[in-house]
Amino acid sequence: MTAKKLFLFWILLLCQLVCAQQDSIVRLKEVTVSDFQLKNFSRTQSVAVLNDSIIEKNATSLTTLLNYNSAIYFKENGLGMVSSPSFRGTTAQQTAVIWNGININSQLNGQTDFNTITSWDFDEITVRAGGGSVVYGSSAIGGSVHLNNILGFKSTVENTLQLGYGSYNTFGGHYKILAANEKTSVNASISRNSSENDYRYPGMAKYNENGQYYNTSVNANFGYKISDSHYLKLYSQLFEGERHFSGTLAAKSKSKYQDLNTRNLLEWDAFFNKWTSRLKVAFVGEQYKYFENAKTTLFETSKAETFISKYDLNYTINKKLSVNAIVDYTKTKGTGIQIGQNTREIGSVALLAKHQVLKQFGYEASVRKELTDNYKSPLLFALGTHLDLTKNYSLLLNGSRNFRIPTFNDLYWDNLGNPDLKPENSYQAEIGQQLKFKNVFISATAYYNDIRDMIQWTPNTTNGNFTPGNVAKVKSYGAELVLNWQAKLDNHIFDFRSGYSYTISKDEETDRQLIYVPQHKANASVAYSYKRWAINGQFLFNGFVYTPSQKYNTVEEYLVSNVGTNYTFGNKITYKLGFRVLNIFNEDYQSVLQRPMPGTNYAINLIFKF
Amino acid sequence: MKFSKLFLSALVASLLFVSCSEDDNQPNRYIPLGTYDSGVLVLNQGGFGHGDASVSYISFGFTTFENDIFSLVNPDVILGDTAQDVGFNGASAYIILNGSNKIEIVNRYTLKSTGTIDEGLSNPRYMAVYNGKGYVTNWGDATNPNDDYVAIIDLATNTITGNIAVVEGPERIIENEGKLYVAQTGGYGYGNQISVISTANNAVTTITVGDVPNSIQIKDGFLWVGCAGRPIYSGVETAGKLVKVNIATNTVATTFAYTEVTKHISNLVLEGSSAYYTVDSGIFKFDLTENSLPATPKFTTTAQGVYGVYSFAIKRGHIYVGDAGDYEHDGHVYIYSLGTEVEQKPLGTLENSFTVGVIPAGFYFNF
Repeated sequence: MTAKKLFLFWILLLCQLVCAQQDSIVRLKEVTVSDFQLKNFSRTQSVAVLNDSIIEKNATSLTTLLNYNSAIYFKENGLGMVSSPSFRGTTAQQTAVIWNGININSQLNGQTDFNTITSWDFDEITVRAGGGSVVYGSSAIGGSVHLNNILGFKSTVENTLQLGYGSYNTFGGHYKILAANEKTSVNASISRNSSENDYRYPGMAKYNENGQYYNTSVNANFGYKISDSHYLKLYSQLFEGERHFSGTLAAKSKSKYQDLNTRNLLEWDAFFNKWTSRLKVAFVGEQYKYFENAKTTLFETSKAETFISKYDLNYTINKKLSVNAIVDYTKTKGTGIQIGQNTREIGSVALLAKHQVLKQFGYEASVRKELTDNYKSPLLFALGTHLDLTKNYSLLLNGSRNFRIPTFNDLYWDNLGNPDLKPENSYQAEIGQQLKFKNVFISATAYYNDIRDMIQWTPNTTNGNFTPGNVAKVKSYGAELVLNWQAKLDNHIFDFRSGYSYTISKDEETDRQLIYVPQHKANASVAYSYKRWAINGQFLFNGFVYTPSQKYNTVEEYLVSNVGTNYTFGNKITYKLGFRVLNIFNEDYQSVLQRPMPGTNYAINLIFKF
Repeated sequence: MKFSKLFLSALVASLLFVSCSEDDNQPNRYIPLGTYDSGVLVLNQGGFGHGDASVSYISFGFTTFENDIFSLVNPDVILGDTAQDVGFNGASAYIILNGSNKIEIVNRYTLKSTGTIDEGLSNPRYMAVYNGKGYVTNWGDATNPNDDYVAIIDLATNTITGNIAVVEGPERIIENEGKLYVAQTGGYGYGNQISVISTANNAVTTITVGDVPNSIQIKDGFLWVGCAGRPIYSGVETAGKLVKVNIATNTVATTFAYTEVTKHISNLVLEGSSAYYTVDSGIFKFDLTENSLPATPKFTTTAQGVYGVYSFAIKRGHIYVGDAGDYEHDGHVYIYSLGTEVEQKPLGTLENSFTVGVIPAGFYFNF
């Protein structure tokens, strides 16, 4: 009897312990990444996570990483130059880039240049396809790219030094320290990239002149556990870079461009029983300097400073149902010779609910409304469900309304900007199917996106001056396929990842495919490793694209292939030495009209972990 | 055998007869100097940054029309980015490519490429030719108002031998009796002067005219200047003016001005005893003896859907209008009657139209 009682008591205690432990594990999981909704509110969309092992296998720029590992198409003005995405057939301003939960697309031109982001700076890069404006705001129409730094509270000290050297005097260096105990967490890194970038144009006696670049980024992220239920986190990034802008086959260039981006985020997470509260304050600064003639000191510059405060409250009603409210206030000040000095204030309220009705069926619903004097803000919403029909097969459905707000350039440019612009507006729906087995993942997604009030600069009919207006309508639809396969046999490890996307994106008036949107894009990577030795191959295919030129109105399709091998030395301290041959078949290709990309080139890489 | 011999001699005889008869009977018949003689070369600017400048050809009788003739003749040469102007020297045409900072030299009648000048030019704009030298206006860097110049090209060697510094934004340039007249539109700013350069010693003097002088013509000892006025996006919009300058004294003789600030004059051409110019879609005619500018146009291009006249020329009784459209797609050339020729329809009657390359920027006549 007493034994039984004791046993019961013990069971009870154990249960509490286990529960408590689970609570704090969940809590820790929720603390490590700032972008809470990415992990907890993206179940009904297609989300692909690129972890650090994939990131370190690729070249340093975010363009290269995503070119070979996602469905996003990139238009790159020559290697390392301005790079703009097209996600699901949308424009460069319709892909949102989210840094630790904060939207960092330029306030000046509305887009992110993917060659101004060093992918090695992040522990995890996630591609979330489809609309996300309710949570992430402007530009999340085609999809969003999430750059996350992870702050763990498990005792560790880990140093990584990564050094690379390649053709055209290309240097990449990266040092990262992870240091944590139960109380504090440090994740800090510094990266430096530079290149002469003077590659020979395949099949020509011409070189890529004036294409040299360098950039430096510093990341400092800290976490502090005040108590079991209170955490303080600080994320900080500085990116500084200079690129000479190379010319075209028709016109040499003498210009250069400097970027200075700063991002700071302070976050306080508090957990009270069923409530989770996150208070965030962020400051994002961007500035560019454009030197028409790199040899002179004369430049043109604009800058924008954005202050964001955000309160995010999540209430878990029960195991199945949780609701989340986000209140946000953003103030942006833009300054430049062409845009004058203007300030924009935006307040927003978002409500999200997640309901796991059955084990196999759940839905997510959300709405957002903004308050601002700058534009008429539409009511945004998203509704999605997942249906796990079998253990391996899931069906995902999602529909949403998203937007892209006018930029400072659109609104205020030199007496030509249009202060009456409306946001671009998108209604979209998608259906996804996922098959998951132990070693195989297959997904197929089809989507439809109706985008209206697209902002374009066109000559007006009275005096021919170019002014922006909500003039275009675009319908995009298509399909994305992903097939991944892993296998392990003793010491042999195989890894295969592939993706294919079919994209139709037509201007309603002209009934023509948008420029720089390929109908077909495919990529694949294969890797095989045996003990300490590994080889891998990467393939990228982009179908032909239309260009804005009438005379040279297409850029041809291309297939670029890279191969690499590496060997790992050491045990506690490891050295991984790698060698890569890029564009091994010397494909003569252009991403953008009259801007040839490099032929076969080489890189060596050393990753030192201690 | 016999038959074939007969046939052959008949053939030879007939050939001889034909060629003889042509020589004998039409001694003054004009022999074209190349495929693209006796017509107008239309210079198409192309999209900025697209590297797709091109040249179209329209014969004087409007019977032959061909686009993209430079690429046709020179398939391995990219003409370049943002074509701006053509200068003629003898049989050579100098095609100025603003975006490429170069000049492509071709035979003006065959379009065969003969050379390139790609050193010493910085934002080149327009060209005048005098005494074996080419004079090319250059804006220099947009960000620098003090690096603008006129480059001197030795046309025998096709190299730049010197520069003449001028104020910001030298645009159109013409030569008269050894003097160069340069319209200072202001480049990226807004100018209001004419630079006068003596080719003897390269000395520069300036004459203040109206805001943004964009077109210049000389007739009977007077320089006529079409001034656009400042555009709306300059912040302070000003009205267009026609300014008559006495070139003996380099002083303004008369100014004819609009009062409405939205009236911006472009494309001044003197023809006969009249001046023709455009404001938006309207073509205006001004008798050189009149005292004030006409309030209404003689005709407009709105029926053709032309927003604003991008380029303009008058030749042999025809008015040539270049329409840039939306600046992205292929442009158009519309040809209207000047109404001065025998049995010609009245002024402004549309005679012909052609779809040319992107942004038709100028007309250059081969005859």
